[in-house]
Amino acid sequence: MTRRLKAPERRASILAVAKTLFADRGMHGVSVDEIARRLGVSPAVLYRHFNSKEALYEAALSEIAGQRESYVEAALNGPEDFGSVLLRMTRVYAASVARDPDYLRMEMHGMLADATAAQRFFESRWKGFTDFIEISLAEPALQGRAGQVDGRTASLLFQGMVREALYAKCILDSPRYQDMALDDLIEQLVRLFLNAIGYRTE
Amino acid sequence: MDNFDQELDARGLNCPLPIVRAKKAIAPMQTGQVLKIVATDPGSVKDFDAFCKQTGNELVSSSEGNGEYEFLIRKTS
Repeated sequence: MTRRLKAPERRASILAVAKTLFADRGMHGVSVDEIARRLGVSPAVLYRHFNSKEALYEAALSEIAGQRESYVEAALNGPEDFGSVLLRMTRVYAASVARDPDYLRMEMHGMLADATAAQRFFESRWKGFTDFIEISLAEPALQGRAGQVDGRTASLLFQGMVREALYAKCILDSPRYQDMALDDLIEQLVRLFLNAIGYRTE
Repeated sequence: MDNFDQELDARGLNCPLPIVRAKKAIAPMQTGQVLKIVATDPGSVKDFDAFCKQTGNELVSSSEGNGEYEFLIRKTS
């Protein structure tokens, strides 16, 4: 006999299934009937928790946009130079994406759909990186340990590199990265980025 | 409590930069001295709690008002 879920459990199960479907096809590519079918319930059950498909999409987007990683350990445990901290941070981020690749697709949908969602994704997922890169870079640049690169440009370059590689690795399962461990991929990416900005340790 | 020996302004910054700066700021301080940190990132509450647990320093107080978060951390080692 199937156990009847309590309201919070049911809501969570709806969000989990909806997130996967929305990530795959966007809001307009998924119907409430399909989500209900996947869950093995009637559409009426969905409407008890969410007024509309739009409300369900917003809730799924909001949940995934608000998640954030802790970089405290990355900041504290290990060598303190810019390159080492950036590598540890990126490993934390990449491990999170590998655990839940739907995030990357939802981020893309969210950024295309509305500015508020895009801002939330940026605040929770990328601002830590851009702050760290833009502000920390100023120090080695001043001390001649990095090229005279613009911090904002460097952080945008970094985001683009990481997103593209993780998309290829975790979503597209690209043959280029199939035989490469995630940690090795991240190490290569960070090394490439540090070379690109002319960074060297003391 | 408003007694502190050093102050770190981490307003407008998201983790890990406030943590990196707090680590640098507290390093040269004497045992028993207090570092005050002001931040605006809501995630800083969890982050500085974790910072103190990991570094062994004491989180003397943590407060919030007008969208700003204030932490007093005593260096214990």
